[in-house]
Amino acid sequence: MTEFLETTVDKFIFKVATDRSYSSEGLWAQADGNRIRIGLSDFLQQRSGDVAFADVKPVGTVLAVGDEVATIETIKVNISLTSPVNGKIVEINPAMQDAPEAINQDPYGEGWLAIIEAADWEADKAALLDPQAYFKLMRGQAEEEAKKL
Amino acid sequence: MTHPQKVVIVPCSGIGKTYGTVSREAAFEVTEDVRPADTQLVALSMLVLGDEAARAAVAESPAITIDGCKLACATKMVKESGGTVAQDFAVLDVYRRYRQFKPQGIAELSEGGQQLAHALAEEITGVVENITSNGDGGQNG
Repeated sequence: MTEFLETTVDKFIFKVATDRSYSSEGLWAQADGNRIRIGLSDFLQQRSGDVAFADVKPVGTVLAVGDEVATIETIKVNISLTSPVNGKIVEINPAMQDAPEAINQDPYGEGWLAIIEAADWEADKAALLDPQAYFKLMRGQAEEEAKKL
Repeated sequence: MTHPQKVVIVPCSGIGKTYGTVSREAAFEVTEDVRPADTQLVALSMLVLGDEAARAAVAESPAITIDGCKLACATKMVKESGGTVAQDFAVLDVYRRYRQFKPQGIAELSEGGQQLAHALAEEITGVVENITSNGDGGQNG
């Protein structure tokens, strides 16, 4: 069962799942062998707003870290999401086509974006943030956002 | 055939939100331009304040609610006020059906926002026609 780090900033509660790695942008990566499932962190989805559309690059797309893996359009913004790993997209969450609100409803579960077959997961993982480091980064970002309210 | 009870339209009251503006523009189009004889606009804020006339209107007539976000305040307040929601619309869902009409702006909607509001107004009008032709309030969670 997934455990979470949790913080409250202003009236918002943000969770960070402890069983995966994170990019500073707020995408998570969770390994099952060399198949890496990716998605948005709770903070990133809350900050972005309700998702209207999610367009993930097609299966077979080869990505380097930092390449655009998906775009999401929310009620607030259009966001380009970049891959946290090197590899090839081997599966896309079908919910992204029909029910992208899954990103908002269950960002660490049903709202995953895609599975990438990693070229070198250990090397990619070393460049990502562990949950504690991301939690600290995220809390700082959330506090900055709260000052704007 | 006459319809003594009007269909009540309750849009989102979100100020400063594009989707709230879309909901209100659509509501104005239906209640002021398209079906003024069959519909009545009720301000969500009046329901929140417990205004007797507003509560009576939703209690006596079928309501169509238009929610600007997932909090669904319009739908919840109509139900809490003793009303029957004949149809609830969520602007986000409507936008998913009309992706070509991207809404932007708040005080003044972009062209896409105006087109989305018009598309929503057409859908609402269809529901109004169903209700008034059937002579009942229908029911939709």
